[in-house]
This record gives sequence, structure tokens and C-alpha cells, in this order.
Amino acid sequence: MSRLTIEKPWQRWLIRFGVFVAMAILTVPGLWVVLTAFRPNIEVLARPAVWIPQNPTLDNFARLFGLSSAQQGLPVLQYFTNSLVISITSTFVAVVIGMAGGYSFARFSFKGKATLFLAFMLSRTVPGVALSLPLFIIWARLGLIDTSFGMILVYMAVNIPFTIWLTDGFFRQIPVDLSEAAQIDGCTRWQAFWKVEFPLARSGLASAAIFAFLTSWNEYALASQLTRTTASKTMPVGLMDFTAQFTVDWTGMSAMAVLIIIPALVLTFVVQKHLIAGLTFGGVK
Amino acid sequence: MTTDVQTLSQPRTKDRVSFFASPRAIPYMLLLPAIVVILSVVLVPLLVSFWTSFTAYNLTKPATLFQFVGLRNYQRLLTNADFWWAFGRTFVFVTITLNLEMLLGLGLALLVNKITWGQRTLRTIMMFPMMFSPILVGFQFKYIFNDSIGLLNNALFDLHIISQPIPWLVDGTLANFSIIFAEIWMSTSVFAILLLAGLMALPKEPLEAARVDGCNPLQVFQHITLPFLMPFVYIAMTIRSLDVARAYDMVKIMTNGGPAGRTELLWTLMTRTGYQNSQMGMANAMGYVSIILSIVFTFYFYRKLVAARTFMGGAQ
Amino acid sequence: MATKFLAKALLASVALATLSGAVMAQEFDYGSFPGYTLKVKLIGGTQYEKLYTRIPEWEALTGAKVEIVSSKNHFDLDREIKQDIASGQITWCVGSNHTSFAPQYGDLYIDLAQSIPASELAKYVPGTLQASMVDGRLVQLPRVTDVSNLYYRKDLYEDPAKMEAYKAKFGTDLAPPKTFDEFKQQIIFFADAPNLYGTAFAGKDEGMSGRFMEILRANGGDLFDANWKPTFNSPEGVAALQWFKDIYDAGAVPAGTVNYTWDEIGQAMAAGQLAVDLDWPGFAGFYSDPTASKIADHLGFAVAPVGTSGKRGGWSGSHSFSVTEACDNKPAAVSLAVFLTNDDSELMEAEAGNLPTRSATFDQAVKYFNENGKTALAEMFPIWQASLADARTPPLIPQWIEVSNVLWPQLQAAIVGEKTPQEALDQAAADATTILEDAGILKQ
Repeated sequence: MSRLTIEKPWQRWLIRFGVFVAMAILTVPGLWVVLTAFRPNIEVLARPAVWIPQNPTLDNFARLFGLSSAQQGLPVLQYFTNSLVISITSTFVAVVIGMAGGYSFARFSFKGKATLFLAFMLSRTVPGVALSLPLFIIWARLGLIDTSFGMILVYMAVNIPFTIWLTDGFFRQIPVDLSEAAQIDGCTRWQAFWKVEFPLARSGLASAAIFAFLTSWNEYALASQLTRTTASKTMPVGLMDFTAQFTVDWTGMSAMAVLIIIPALVLTFVVQKHLIAGLTFGGVK
Repeated sequence: MTTDVQTLSQPRTKDRVSFFASPRAIPYMLLLPAIVVILSVVLVPLLVSFWTSFTAYNLTKPATLFQFVGLRNYQRLLTNADFWWAFGRTFVFVTITLNLEMLLGLGLALLVNKITWGQRTLRTIMMFPMMFSPILVGFQFKYIFNDSIGLLNNALFDLHIISQPIPWLVDGTLANFSIIFAEIWMSTSVFAILLLAGLMALPKEPLEAARVDGCNPLQVFQHITLPFLMPFVYIAMTIRSLDVARAYDMVKIMTNGGPAGRTELLWTLMTRTGYQNSQMGMANAMGYVSIILSIVFTFYFYRKLVAARTFMGGAQ
Repeated sequence: MATKFLAKALLASVALATLSGAVMAQEFDYGSFPGYTLKVKLIGGTQYEKLYTRIPEWEALTGAKVEIVSSKNHFDLDREIKQDIASGQITWCVGSNHTSFAPQYGDLYIDLAQSIPASELAKYVPGTLQASMVDGRLVQLPRVTDVSNLYYRKDLYEDPAKMEAYKAKFGTDLAPPKTFDEFKQQIIFFADAPNLYGTAFAGKDEGMSGRFMEILRANGGDLFDANWKPTFNSPEGVAALQWFKDIYDAGAVPAGTVNYTWDEIGQAMAAGQLAVDLDWPGFAGFYSDPTASKIADHLGFAVAPVGTSGKRGGWSGSHSFSVTEACDNKPAAVSLAVFLTNDDSELMEAEAGNLPTRSATFDQAVKYFNENGKTALAEMFPIWQASLADARTPPLIPQWIEVSNVLWPQLQAAIVGEKTPQEALDQAAADATTILEDAGILKQ
């Protein structure tokens, strides 16, 4: 990318400093959780504070996996697999369905379009509590309680409206002329879409996918209602296994949190690459 | 599929072409899967809960589902001061957080856009808070803001800024500040990444043209960058205004509406009424009154979005 | 009818068991259910799951299989059970329960007294079993009991300087408090914010309501009169609320305490931030563990103080197991519920530091603790056991949680000074009256 503005050195340092401060605020509260995962409880919630870990430990992870004699482990691997299956499937399907919808809104004029668009948006204004119980009753009748499929369906509904709006915006940025030119060159609309518009919209799809994935990966409220056992419990629901009636095992919870964060972080980092590829392709026009 | 579309795009010679096979049907067909999913997962349950808002439905007494009480739940709500306080507080909470998140997100996107090295890492770091489940954010800030052994007060003590602990989650103003801070921490990244994507998709020619014409950076930002970014801003605003109810998990853990109702939001009030007190009928009535709030926000941003899109082109 | 038949069937099997050998003598017969799969819904969390390692033993004993269809913390489990009732999906047989939650579930669970021989029930702590009844029905078998007593820091109570200063100021020797007035006095005496507070209390949710109820009852008042009319806005109630307000205003508790629940109090105590803590038996293991707690070496135990009436509040509750009315094999379900609360199971619970529900287990547990160097727990058990005599549950009506939800925000309002205690309690009493009238419990 070409730099449009050439900053003076002091401006550049000011920007760097600003970025540093912003990143510090964004990461410190989260890193504190990560650090907590590697510390014994006695150091964590202490006064006076223990800033530098005195006795870094892997105990919390050992307890998590049941490698310590002190207590039973949790079915972390099962939760992890559930989370992965549910998040990836629902993201993939939501992005495909949402992309079709977004394309439809961006490229066609049709009757009831504005109403439909608004309806999709409003479908997400429904407060969780008004939705959760009826959803539970219906899911129970259909036998979808405590199944991955039930969760996938719900997360699709959560992510589709959002993917539609996002892809709608990205498709609008791609000039119609490009696809029309391809069609004049003998492509069908279908081929033109895949050869011309889809690659250009990839950045949009990548970000839609990241959002959808992270939403599903981290969702708690609905999952806590619709999942019950290791058959479908996801990682965030598993976090609550660390709360008993009187206590919260914060160090254990932090260890599990690390296991939730790392895959999300890795995936985000990997998808960033595709995001960039899509963007640079888009910049060629 | 390929052949379908091919034939669809050809003019048909038959006299009677069914609607579903006509080109007019294409946009609807494309939207059909999305519509089906939303109808089954959102609309049907919604109708059920709409019905319950007119009943004395008690969660532990299934028979009460058919005990029709007309508008009684709504009438009670109208005179329920706690509900309206929560309603007003939620309105303020959403307004403040969305605007601050937007401004901070824009600032962050502009800053990160200026950095040339390590963009990919930087962007991943920028999205770091998005990796945190709202429920985890709740626990995290509950302990950070804990007055006696929390991270924040400990830091302030060790830096000798304070000598008495600050009761972050108790004082009315501070407690609301704390939940707003947690919400902003959790969600600013969403704005930042969307706006950054917008910035990176910004066409270069108008910018260069403007510079050649002698516009200063502020003018360029105001007249070219910002109008181009506006649809992204409104998309982000719309999404967040709907999504902001996710803050429930977090507030529930941090304060659960307390102390003395100082941080009570509609979501905490509704869930307590519905699940703990088992008064599902009443909780759903609250839900429907609160939908008004969401509709106002959504409709406002939607109007803005449409206006901004007109500027950007594409099918109307 | 069905229950009678089952009781007969059970009696018959007991007879069989008696024949089968001396090993099983006086033991409950767990029956034989080969090929049957029992669906259960159990409280999850590391503290509770250790007991479930005994399930395979029961499976081997009876030939049945156990399928855990849900495992969550109790608040989530409560919501889930309500959802099941709402959707009519009671497809499971045994559920974890709790005395505070049990009254809400109506006739979801069977009366266990009909299916368990009295000789077996006699092995449970009588008061605990009594508290497990709702409307005269034994809807649950208690598994562990909670009752609150005092944890205190011996290093503070035995510090000569502190002892001298206390004697000089109040004219009495410094010792763990016997009354709530003395407790208040010591809380304020020890407080040295921000490094040390006298105590901390659960300031929200049912914890706040329960702590208030405890002092209210110790002062001779109660939440309701015999006709379920709220009476907690009585002078005793105002005095109880004033107790919290006094220590709060004196800065003798962390200001954040009105937002604390048990875990924050536990963390603060373990971090050496509190002098005394009126709390549950479950914390003994945590406080006496040197890797988790700074006060492990000087932890003291004492019974809860009494109020102005000379009585203890004795707020108590039990975790328990219940058997559903909809269960397709109630004998198997009852068998598991008994198995998970039998002497061996209770010993396992006790060894982990929980208060058992069988009388015989207390002595066995103390012996175990002494043999295994867990002296703190050995010291704690008799004290907690002694206080069980005064244990009282919250009112066993379905509306308790709902009443609690109108009570605690008002208590908070008075403590932080938004209202006077009388105003706050009057408001809560008015709201509670509406709830009980709507429920048809309180006649207008």
C-alpha cells in the first residue's frame, strides 16, 4: 500500500505511542486473566498485591484435565470438540446463506426489499429472555435439546442477519460494471459471481466469518439454556463448572479461559491473512 | 445449481412461467434459506412469548400458560417505577456505550491504519477482547474492580494514588462507570475492525486527487474518508445496537443490577423476573415493552444506513 | 396406590436381602435392575462431582446404568428444571435438589418416606431430615448440610497487644463473639482499612436476605407470622438491618461487600483481609489449605453468635437428591438416592470437608481428619455439628426466592444509606405482601 500522507518523525512517534497505549488498554485486562491461569490461588487475589508471579505453576491446567489428585478433571476435550463443531459448522452455513442474502439485497431490486431488510435486522432486537424459554420448549418437542445440531441452528439464526448486512455492504462496493463486463464476455451470472465478485468480496466474507465464529465460540446465554451435558456443552458453558454454590475457582476458570482464547486468537490471526489478500485484490481496481 | 441459474437468466418462451422459475424469483430464492432459519428460530418462539405476555404464566405451573389475563401484565408495568428506571438506565447505557465505542473504534482504526509494520499482528491484538466470552469478561472485571483485593485498587494503592479503597462496584456512579467500561472494553474492537476494513477498502484515487487539489488531511478526512466510512459506521452501530444485550451476561456477573438497583438494566430485571421469580408472563411483557427501545435504535440507524448507501450506489 | 405397591416391592426386596447374607444386615437393599438405564440430573462443579465417582459402584451393585443427562451449578440447574416443568419434559428420575429450592417444584418429586424404610431414615440427622420436608412430604434426601458458624484468625485474637487494647476498651477479654452485639463491637475493633476489615457479608441475592433473616430470628423476630403475613419490618427487623448498617457505616467491612457473594468473601478471608467470617462449612478446606490461603496456620472456629433473644439464627440448608414422580423406575431411583447418601458416601463427603447428613459419619470423619493430619477440619466438625441443633431453613414456600428478590435490594438501599431501615423494610414488606396475596398464600 502506498502511503498517502508522509508524516513527520514526531508525528510518527506520536502515532506509535497512541497505538501502544491503545493496545495496552485492550490487552492488559485480558492478559491478567492469562497470567492468573499460571498462578496459585494464594497469589491471585491478594492484598498487598503480588505483581510478578512468585511461583508460576501449571497446576491449574493439571486440575482442569484431571491430572491432579485433588479433584476430578473436567471433560474439557469434549467441550472443546463441541465448541469447535458447533462454531465452525454454524459459521460456514451462516456465511453461505448470508452471502446469498447479501448478494440479493445488493444486486437486485424487488418487491418488499426494504421491509425484508428491516425484518432481518429486527429479528435480532428480540431480548434473549423472551426468546429463550419458547425456544427451549420448541427444541424440547423436536428433540433438539442438548444436541450440537440444535445449537448450530440457533447460531445460524444469530449470525445470518449480521452476515447479510455485512456482505450487502461489501457487494455494493464492487462496481456492477465488473460483473456485467464478465457477462458480456460470455460468462453466466453464476460464473461472473464466482470469478469476479466473489474474490473481490472475500475480505468482507472473511470478516463476516470471523465475527460469526467468535460470536458462536463465545456465546453463553443461549448455550447455557439449550445444552446440558457433554453431548453439546460448549467451552463458555463449561466455564460455569468452576462455580459452585459458594465459591468460584477463579484460577481454574482462567486456565479454561486460556483454552478458549488461544484457538480463537490463532484462527483470527490466520484469517487476517485472507482478509489482507482480499483487500489488496480489491485495491487493484 | 449452475444450470438452474443459466436457464433462469434466459428469457423463457413458454406462456405461463411459474413465479418460482422466473427471474423475478431469483432474489427471493437467494433469501429463502435465511428467511426459513429466522422464521423457525426467532419468529415462532417470539409468537409464543407474545402470547405468554397476556397470561399469568408461571414457569413452575404449566397450566397457567392458558390463564389469560389480558393487559394486566402491561398495566402493572406502566405503574412499576423499578421497570421504568431500568428502562431509562438501559437507554442511557446503550447510548453512551455505542457512541463511545464508535468514537474509540474509529480512533483505533485510524491509528492502526497508519502503522505499516506488523499490521497482521497488530490487528489480531486489536481484536483480542473479542476472544473473550461476555461471561468471562464479567468475572474478569468483577475481580479487577473488586474493592479489597482487585487489580485496579491494588495498582492504585501501590502507586500511592489512593489510601482508601475505591468501591468501584458499589457507588452509584462508579458502578455504572465500571459496567460501561467493561462493555466498551469488550466491544470497541468490533467497531475498530469493521471501520478498519472500511478504511482499507477506501479507493485511493479520490484521496490523491484531493491532495493534489491542496486539501489538508482534516478536509480529506471530513469530505472523503468519513462519508465513505459512514455505511460501515451505521452497519457497526446497527449490529451493536442489537447485540448490546449480550452485555447481560457480563452485568449479571459483575453487579446483578445492584447495589440497591443502581445498575439494574432491563435484561437483569427481566431474567430475574422470568427465571428466578418464575413470572414468565410478566417477564415477556417487559420484553415486548423493551423491544420498543430496540426498534427505535435500529430504525434510526437503518434510516442512516439507507441514506449512506444511496451515496455509495448499488441497487436500491 | 402405586407408591403402596412400590413400598411393598421394596419391603419384599429388603426381606430378600436379609436372606442373602450377613454382610447386608441392617443395610438398605439397593435392589437389582439389570439393563435399566437411570437418567439423572446432578449438580456439577468440582466440589460436588467427587461423589459421583461412586456411581460405578452402584451400577455394579444393581446392574443398572446411570446416564447423567445434566450437570450444572445449582442456579442453572434450577432454571433447567423449571424449563423442564414448563415444557413437560420430565424424562429423568433422580435430580439434585436443595432445601431452599425444593418448595418451588410443587409435586415434581415423590414423598420418599413412602419408599424408604423408617429404619434407614433414622440414620440421617433428624433436624436435617425434618428440614427436607415440604408440606409434610419428604421430597429429598439430604446429602450435605450447610449452616454458618464463625471462622476467625487466631493470630489476631491471640495477639497480646490486641488483647490488651480490647480489655482496656471494653473491659472484657478478647474471645470469639458470643452475641451479635459483641460481634459488631469486634468487627469495628479489628477494622484497619484498607488492609484489614472486621468481616464481610454477602450483600446481594439470597445471601443478603438469608444473613438478614438469621439476625432477625436471633433477635426473636421472623420473616412471616403464622398466616404468612410479612413481619420482618418489626423492631427486631429494623435492629437486624441496623446491625449491617452500623458495621458498614463504620467502614469495618469492605465497601464492596454489598456486591459480594460467597466467593468474594472467601477470597478476602483467605487473603488475610478479614478478622472473622460467619460462613459455611465448605470453606474450612479452602481456608486451611496453605497453597490457597494465607490464614491456614492460624484458623480458629467458633459457633455462631446469638441475638438479643438469646437464640441462634441458624440459617441452614442442605444439598439433596430427589426422585421424580414421572420416573419409570422409582425403586431404582430411590436406590441411587439412598446409595449416594449412605454411610460410605457421607464419609466421602465429610472427608472433603462437607458436613454430612448421617449422624454416624461425624465421629468417623473426625477420626479420619486426625489420622490424616487435617487438624483444622477435626477441630471444625464438632463445632458445626453442635450448631445443627439450632439450624433453621428459610420459609419453605415456593415464593421464598421471589420474596428474597424484593427484600435484598431494599436491604442494600438501607445499608448504603438511600433509605432508613424502617422505610426499606416497609417497602419490602409491602412488595412481599403483594407476592403472597397473588400466590393465594396470604388471604387478603
